[in-house]
Amino acid sequence: MASALTGRLGRQVANKFLPTLLTPKLRLRVKLEHGFRQSAALFVVGSEIKMPSLSPTMAEGTIVKWLKNEGDPIAAGDVLCDIQTDKAIVSFEIEEEGILAKILVGNDAKDVKVGTLIALMVAEGEDWKGVEIPAAGSAAPPSSPAEAKPAASQAAPAVEKKTAGGHSGGQGPAVHRLLEQFGLSSSDVPATGPKGNLLKGDILNLVNQKGLKPKAPQTVLPPAASKAAAPAAAAPSKTPAAKAKPQVAKGSKFIDVELTNMRKTIAKRLSQSKSTIPHSYGGIDCDISEVLKLRKALKSEGIATSVNDFVIKAVATALRQYPHMNCIWDGQQAVPVGDVDVSVAVATDTGLITPIVKKASEKGVQEISAVVRDLAARAKQGKLQLNEFQGGSFTISNLGMFGINYFSAIINPPQCSILAVGTGRLILGSDGKPVQSMNVTLSYDRRAIDEEQAAEFLSGLRDILKDPSRMLLGGVPPSMRARVGI
Amino acid sequence: MMSPTARLVVRRLNQRNQALAPFFTSTKSFATEASFETRPFKLHKLEEGPKTSVTVTRDEALKYYKQMLTIRRIETASGNLYKEKIIRGFCHLYSGQEACAVGMKAAMKPADAIISAYRIHGWTYLMGVPPLGVLAELTGRKSGCARGKGGSMHMYAPHFFGGNGIVGAQVPLGVGVAFASKYRGDDNVCFALYGDGAANQGQIFEVYNMAKLWNVPCIFVCENNGYGMGTSAERAAASTTYYTRGDYVPGIWVDGMDILAVREASRFAIEYCTSGKGPLVMETATYRYSGHSMSDPGTSYRTRDEIQEVRQNRDPIASFKEKIISTDLASADELKAIDAEVKKEVDEATRKAKSDSEIPMEELPADIYAAPLEEEVRNVAPWEPLRHKRIGSAVNLN
Ligand SMILES: Cc1ncc(C[n+]2csc(CCOP(=O)(O)OP(=O)(O)O)c2C)c(N)n1
Ligand SMILES: [Mg+2]
Repeated sequence: MASALTGRLGRQVANKFLPTLLTPKLRLRVKLEHGFRQSAALFVVGSEIKMPSLSPTMAEGTIVKWLKNEGDPIAAGDVLCDIQTDKAIVSFEIEEEGILAKILVGNDAKDVKVGTLIALMVAEGEDWKGVEIPAAGSAAPPSSPAEAKPAASQAAPAVEKKTAGGHSGGQGPAVHRLLEQFGLSSSDVPATGPKGNLLKGDILNLVNQKGLKPKAPQTVLPPAASKAAAPAAAAPSKTPAAKAKPQVAKGSKFIDVELTNMRKTIAKRLSQSKSTIPHSYGGIDCDISEVLKLRKALKSEGIATSVNDFVIKAVATALRQYPHMNCIWDGQQAVPVGDVDVSVAVATDTGLITPIVKKASEKGVQEISAVVRDLAARAKQGKLQLNEFQGGSFTISNLGMFGINYFSAIINPPQCSILAVGTGRLILGSDGKPVQSMNVTLSYDRRAIDEEQAAEFLSGLRDILKDPSRMLLGGVPPSMRARVGI
Repeated sequence: MMSPTARLVVRRLNQRNQALAPFFTSTKSFATEASFETRPFKLHKLEEGPKTSVTVTRDEALKYYKQMLTIRRIETASGNLYKEKIIRGFCHLYSGQEACAVGMKAAMKPADAIISAYRIHGWTYLMGVPPLGVLAELTGRKSGCARGKGGSMHMYAPHFFGGNGIVGAQVPLGVGVAFASKYRGDDNVCFALYGDGAANQGQIFEVYNMAKLWNVPCIFVCENNGYGMGTSAERAAASTTYYTRGDYVPGIWVDGMDILAVREASRFAIEYCTSGKGPLVMETATYRYSGHSMSDPGTSYRTRDEIQEVRQNRDPIASFKEKIISTDLASADELKAIDAEVKKEVDEATRKAKSDSEIPMEELPADIYAAPLEEEVRNVAPWEPLRHKRIGSAVNLN
């Protein structure tokens, strides 16, 4: 009888005060009293330390190094370990005091999910060696708070449905809108996005496959009408909102085109050029009637040349005549270049490339023509050597063959000029006779070249194209200019 | 068949029923009160300051100890919940500053008011919200004191005019609350709290002027924790003697790590204000252990050693504990029992704050007004209004 009584009282004591007031030793004894006779009852329940989120965007982290060892006493504010977050290495401070009893995830453990059990701590004076290690399953991170929450959303499912405007479960607003338009629920559509997210394309696919039609949107009364008309339940078809059918392009799918390395380089260089070089522009119309005549005559003899070949030759000659135009910008200043190396823009499937007609001023039109054809062909096959398209002192870009009248181009640094060549077209000359005219527009680096210098060059170029025999004149190389006193 | 241990337990259990007598300690009798000397107060434009000799009874001491500890535990739990990503958004912890709030609260009359900035989890608890009300507010669940809609900076209770996110803006509001007391002719005061960083806000000087001009019973409390948001007070303020910065408003400097000193200074301040002499500035010199907010590790503008040094030598809880034990107000075991009790309560609240549900959607537009004049609340589309509801109980209506 006595034992029954004490047993009951003892249990009461244990239940009521055991978790809080008893020291571990006493806890152990009371347990024994109740017959939980586990071998030595090594059974200190530790407090769990979980992988913390130490940056707002951290989902997992790497434990770089534990600064405390098992058995070390911990004071509030001590650093337990250094953790590499998605941003930086951050010290993990602990606010509790006690003894670090067990490290469950060691140094250098990579990509440990936030919430994963990483260590156990016991109170001061407790037997840290006897800490109870939780079963493996409990070491896994708990479901994310967002998933763990939903007691509330379950409580009000009807309301939840209506929140079409919000983002949930990684769905974007476009996905929401489409689901609503076609009266679909997200479970109707197979999702292919990362982490099982539903994509806009998934819905459009299904819409195409099944030939779904958007559902008429719900009638929304205009604000003015809402009060007066609400009781009358206005005829939906007459409200303006009901007429406006949502537009969904038929068969539209969305494909992301990833940039090739070449396009990436182009993008980088052009952005850099346009945003750091002060571009200035000048355009001039050139009479190319004579060039066309000459070309025709050559063709009748079986010598094939293009207008562009003449433009290259004319530019090369003009660059010799106006050598300050044949320069590059070295970051501080304009540096004149000895040779006239003309880069010619060639379109390929992967992007624009500018192979170089080297020493163009020293080449005849036929040779230029052959060189360009060879370079262009190999450019299209991707077989150019580096030195065949890197360098150059001036670039020509010609869109005449597409009928473009005029355009402006972006400088190809470190060059200082690029000439955009338009199409030849018939205009009325000053003498009332038709003239074949072609516009060229020069983009130049205003740091290296003055407006006046650019204008001189352009008018010189126009003169050469008007009278191709001037190409015979050539120019004087800069090295010789001083000597002969020009 | 009764084992010696069990018998021991039974006897002590009986003893426990007799009073709050300590569990598992000998039946030694304790001092019923004890006196201490505080660090000297510094005075500005005051002939006389608070007494430096303070007395505390055993019951008071245990109460303050438990209050400070509860605040510390709530903050620790908040920090952990934040690192588990269960609390999101803003979250500013008060660890290290507990003696300020508990000291002021100990001196406040039941109807005295307080308003503070965003570091208010501890104040919310002191003003009557249980730990669950604070923690569930932080986790955004319905047991929160603002039903989960306010979060860290927006908690309120009777006579507690809440957290305020705009640095310094609570101070003019506090003067307004104090002015209301004066206007009504009751003898309540308002404590308007701000930080050392906020002390440089222009609006504080504007209300120093108005409060003094009209002798409003407002106690301006500058909680100087040494740092603003990422910078030390020394680097941010031309004068760091915050208790003098009211110029024509008298001031007191008090050791904000000593609960009894803060209580004494607060008593003095209340007395001063209610005797019609007008406002007072009180600077509490304290320290913040954590970073400014959860996104600030708090170690880029001060060293970890500095923090640990304060924790070891000036911690408000540890030093008060030592005072209690050394004067025999209570035994170490007795305090340990309080530790365990507090831990259990906060752990329990934490568990509940994690598993509690959120309010349903319909409640979102509820309780915007205490007495709504219109039932409809404007929605994203103005012609699809939401319905206002009254659910919670309104506080501080007049
Ligand atoms: C008007 C305004 N400016 C800036 C901020 C950003 N801010 C929030 S807290 C803070 C620092 C305040 O420091 P202090 O007053 O010392 O208070 P403590 O954080 O130390 O408690 C700043 C600059 C703000 N919330 N409001
Ligand atoms: Mg501060």
